[in-house]
Amino acid sequence: MGTFFKNLYRNKALLFMVLPGAIWFFFFSYLPLAGTIVAFKQYRFNRDGFWASIARSEWVGWDNFKFLFSTSDAYTITRNTLLYNLAFIVLGLIFSVLMAIILSELVNRKLSKLYQTGMFLPYFLSWVIVGYFVFSFLSMDRGLLNQILGWFGMDPIQWYSEAKYWPYIMVVVNLWKSIGYSSVVYLAAILGIDKSLYEAAMIDGANKWQQIRNITIPLLTPIMTIMTLLAVGKIFYADFGLFYQVPRDSGTLYAVTNVIDTYVYRGLMTTGEIGMSAAAGLYQSVVGFALVMISNYVVRRMDKDSALF
Amino acid sequence: MQKGKKRWTAALATMTALTLALSGCGGGGNNQSSASGSGGGTSDKPVELIWYTIGTPQKDVDSVMAEVSKYTTEKIGASVTMKMIDWGDYQQKMQVLVASGEPMDIIFTSSGGFDYVQNARKGAFAELDSLIDQYGKELKDTINPAFLEGSKVDGHNYAIPANKELPQQEVWRFNQNLVDQYGIDTKNVRSLDSLEPLLKTIKEKAPDVTPFAMDKNYVPYVPYDYVIQNLPMAVKLDTTDYKIVNVLDTPEMKEALATMHKYYKAGYVAPEAATTGSTSDLMTSGKWLLDRAQTQPFADNVWSTSYGYPVTSTPASDAIITNNSVQGSMMAISANSEHPDKAMQFLNLLNTDPVLRNMVDSGIEGTHYKKTADNRMENLPESKNYDMPSYSLGNNMLLYLNPNDPENKWDEFKKFNESGVDSPILSFNFDPKSVSSELAAVQNVKEQFWSSLMTGTVDPDQYLPQAIQKFNDAGLEKIMAEAQKQLDEWKAANGK
Repeated sequence: MGTFFKNLYRNKALLFMVLPGAIWFFFFSYLPLAGTIVAFKQYRFNRDGFWASIARSEWVGWDNFKFLFSTSDAYTITRNTLLYNLAFIVLGLIFSVLMAIILSELVNRKLSKLYQTGMFLPYFLSWVIVGYFVFSFLSMDRGLLNQILGWFGMDPIQWYSEAKYWPYIMVVVNLWKSIGYSSVVYLAAILGIDKSLYEAAMIDGANKWQQIRNITIPLLTPIMTIMTLLAVGKIFYADFGLFYQVPRDSGTLYAVTNVIDTYVYRGLMTTGEIGMSAAAGLYQSVVGFALVMISNYVVRRMDKDSALF
Repeated sequence: MQKGKKRWTAALATMTALTLALSGCGGGGNNQSSASGSGGGTSDKPVELIWYTIGTPQKDVDSVMAEVSKYTTEKIGASVTMKMIDWGDYQQKMQVLVASGEPMDIIFTSSGGFDYVQNARKGAFAELDSLIDQYGKELKDTINPAFLEGSKVDGHNYAIPANKELPQQEVWRFNQNLVDQYGIDTKNVRSLDSLEPLLKTIKEKAPDVTPFAMDKNYVPYVPYDYVIQNLPMAVKLDTTDYKIVNVLDTPEMKEALATMHKYYKAGYVAPEAATTGSTSDLMTSGKWLLDRAQTQPFADNVWSTSYGYPVTSTPASDAIITNNSVQGSMMAISANSEHPDKAMQFLNLLNTDPVLRNMVDSGIEGTHYKKTADNRMENLPESKNYDMPSYSLGNNMLLYLNPNDPENKWDEFKKFNESGVDSPILSFNFDPKSVSSELAAVQNVKEQFWSSLMTGTVDPDQYLPQAIQKFNDAGLEKIMAEAQKQLDEWKAANGK
């Protein structure tokens, strides 16, 4: 017991810094875990409050999960969610590291800050606004793209009913919005690299490309791994705003824009079955949890220092 | 390992301590408020009713409710606190508030905001049958009996409907300026097909006008009543065998969709109608010829005033009394209400007493409005701080008339209500409990096909069979069979 308090005292500053985050996680992530029980119940209100409602609702076993797997949409939404997220993870990693390296190589610090801010800005926009941005490009009669097509004498395209273009549009829009943020993380890591390494390399006659390949990228690998592992844990969660707002909820595009989150929203918006939405959330987090554990295991096998735990 | 375990214990200890501290604070707060509450009460302690209602929160709600409370404390021994939740948030926030057992007594509910039938079945509302008999005699005499009859769920009343327009009737609305300018004849318009010459004229003469304004919620009118709004299960209005059919498979809908597609291809409909959320831009600019809307007496005046240019209308359907129209605005008593009897007394008073009803609607006399005659009022500038939606606050027919309302306004409403014809399935409420996973899948199919078919964006020859196929794959037939079973039982029980 004595050593426990001694440890507590010795690490007081660190523990204190951890405290707000720990409290947040306790109240918003650990405490609500007990509520996942709702996923196995047909939720009905009880006058004595939330816990009484849960306790007295009828058990329905796995019934609440059925709607996720019962139709041909199950395949579409799972495929869309996984493939889009894979594309976002891979392309996001490549482009944000690329941008971070370019920004770090810029000699003019002021311009570098300007570009950085410009790239960061979309990250703060809500998807609703981004949806309108995209609409101003793709609108059938007044959209920029159709006007450009018109200059070249081509027929206008009904963007919001042509599914084949949307996988590319979604990826581009998502990258545009997210790269600014993640490249800042990598940029910070690059700026933290000891400058003497580059000096030594230059003395040895290494050119820029060799410096990047042999110093920057290897030293960025741990943070790249961590960021990717974190993203893998969310691979079953689709960004609702992106998939709902940007295609303007257009039915003809569902084949390529319907993902788990939008499917759940559309299915339950009118019936309001809490049990079924809890089931969908539980399913997503269990799969995400398993994927994080597996990929972390693989990473630890290859390089112990880069693993999360 | 040992070390890790210790750290974890430390974190846990800190958190427990903190939780205790927090709950301590919470407890203290409660004590304080209950102490002051009992201190302020008189000997027979008026109870406090908490009333959740829809609408943009108004600045003067608390001061008006203080005035309302004075009146109600005297009449029924209860004071009122009103909590307003904005239009877009109401459904979602009420779900959470009710689910978490937040104390409340009176809840606004309707077929659109915090769904009445569903939440009655989930146990959110207290059953009112005996309370109405005990405390609601005047109320029962005042409001049109069709309202109470039509809002029964499984044979019981769970809410008090507001007395207002009873049937729903579709009309074609015209932008009268354009009608006059281009000499368009609106007299013989009724069916969807009859619009064609008008649309054609305006398209040729004024190419920058959208001939047929609509948003993605537009559905061509067909003489069917839907079992669930916007799902293709419906019963024909003049049915004799009470058969539920897939409305997409009916000759009426097929014809309507073909016409819509023809209109769409001719450019009468905006190219992005299927993804347009609202036509308010068009209404503001006045660059539209016609659209379809639901009417009520003197609706043309209301529309013309709100748009700032003349709008006229002609009927597109008969006036039909449906579940949807009956359940348009209701007040329920929460299942967890501490004082259901007082809440019922309040609802009775609100729906029968013009003084209370107008206070709730327009605010404090002399501050927010002034009376100009026995049954007339005029808003004062302060009314901008208490601008309430009238439809959601109880019996509309007790309201004082505004300066430009005609003297016979409420008589016309009564006439309109009497002109309504009951839908064959009025007061039948489908219970989707046993098919809820199919329903979720079917909703997704609906979202996928509905708007693009209904607005004519896609060719029904190609997409209608696809949609029907997908609906059936998702389990629509099973839902329809279940609905048919329930409808047959209901029909037998009600002697139809």
